[in-house]
Amino acid sequence: MRCPVCKNPMVILELQQIEIDYCTFCQGIWLDAGELEALLGDTQQVQDLLTSFKIDDAIREKRIKCPICNKKMHKIQAGQHNPIIIDKCRIDHGLWFDSGELQQIIEMGSLHKENEILILLKDIFTNKLK
Amino acid sequence: MWELIRANRRKSLVLFFIMGMFLVLLGYLIGQAFKPQGGGITGVVIAIFVWFILNMISMFSGSKIMLTVSNAKEITPDVHPRLYNIVEEMRMAANLPKTPKVYIINTEAPNAFATGRTPDDAAIAVTAGLLAKLNRDELQGVVAHETSHILNRDIRFMTYAGIMLGTIVLISELYLRTLFFSSSARYRSDSKGGGQGQLIMMVLAIVMAILAPIAAQLLYFAISRKREYLADASAVRLTRYPEGLAAALEKISGSTQDIETANKVTAPMYIVNPLKKKGMKIADLTSTHPPISERIRILRSMAGGANFTSYQQAWSTVTGSPSHIIPRSGLADNESLGFRPPASGEDIEADMKQSRRDLGNLMMAVNQYTFIDCPCGVKLKVPPDYKSLQVECPRCGRIHKVSD
Repeated sequence: MRCPVCKNPMVILELQQIEIDYCTFCQGIWLDAGELEALLGDTQQVQDLLTSFKIDDAIREKRIKCPICNKKMHKIQAGQHNPIIIDKCRIDHGLWFDSGELQQIIEMGSLHKENEILILLKDIFTNKLK
Repeated sequence: MWELIRANRRKSLVLFFIMGMFLVLLGYLIGQAFKPQGGGITGVVIAIFVWFILNMISMFSGSKIMLTVSNAKEITPDVHPRLYNIVEEMRMAANLPKTPKVYIINTEAPNAFATGRTPDDAAIAVTAGLLAKLNRDELQGVVAHETSHILNRDIRFMTYAGIMLGTIVLISELYLRTLFFSSSARYRSDSKGGGQGQLIMMVLAIVMAILAPIAAQLLYFAISRKREYLADASAVRLTRYPEGLAAALEKISGSTQDIETANKVTAPMYIVNPLKKKGMKIADLTSTHPPISERIRILRSMAGGANFTSYQQAWSTVTGSPSHIIPRSGLADNESLGFRPPASGEDIEADMKQSRRDLGNLMMAVNQYTFIDCPCGVKLKVPPDYKSLQVECPRCGRIHKVSD
């Protein structure tokens, strides 16, 4: 798969039996449909987080294309306060997070702090942010 | 077994020769329509020549073309040991001189086919979806069915018949197109001194050019349908476990996914027609494969053991037809082959997530990804076109070399 932003081939990271497509050049992350749920576990908080995702195509951020279907993705507002703008495929192939965005979402969701995958994810991407 | 192969071939040969007659007749009529004096013979010669050339091409690289068109990639035993074991097992059961090459097609739709020239030079291709969805017994059933196609010499014969069909279609199309594009000029020259005979020939040639491809296709389908039943019967003989193939057919036909790379020419090769969704409504006459439900019912009602006689009996019971699907020589085979029990233990269906990941890894291995196990616990899968020679583990910052 190619990074939808910088077009470099993406590396696949496997941790705890979940695969994440990761661009080592721009640190973006692609999650296939359902992977975010699988990653965070199926809890009410996750559901709340997911339902808080609102399509907002008025945002003036550059539109990027879904790496699977190559169609322009929706801009999504995640969270109520200080919303983060992420990209979501129109036909639900998955979600795109620019560098650091996934981590922000995870922190925002104040999810189970002891969630192993969450900890793993966090420490993976905090290291990258330094 | 040899007797059976020969009988199988004899039966198909009749249909094959009728198909050939269509080709010759088509060549004759078109030649005659172009040139009333001696054109017919030239037409026949050209038609046979075209068929011959296409056959030559397919003889030397037919299977390669088929595999390339289907986007199949060859694998080594270490990529998928289970599949390779099964192919080797079936090769021994069928007593083939050489292990067929094993190919994987990167599509989620479950299916499989065999191709090649001779048993020495054969290939079995399975889709990634097949590997993900079937357990060992079912996979063995499918591989046994494909091995039977190789053993029964179906692969080469079907190629010949397929090429003949292709030639008939090609010549008909060419003729009709030439006619269409040059029609105005033709009428003018004809009006000067064109005989009525030529006009009649032209009409006959047009009718033939329209009908021959359809008729040839029906014959081609008739040949391939018969061979599917025989391959099922032989597969049971090889595995001694009809339920494996029956369950596999059920799973394959239950899938709603189509194979993107399959087309009219390659469709009859597959164990289950990969274009089924598009041609569902057309009568059984035009189907390249017998109805799956019927094949499954026959397999499940085999009561007399894993031999041909038992299959023939089950076939007659299910279809209610008195005709022989297994050549008589095969029915002399009363060897009592008992069924074997299903495999157990490790072969309990893996959960869908695990098999999906296995499938993903398999396709990555086939597509030359590099797998790196970082000591920190993260597994990195690097695509072959990755631009840097090194990759940094995002978790611990270790630098790994990508290529070896």
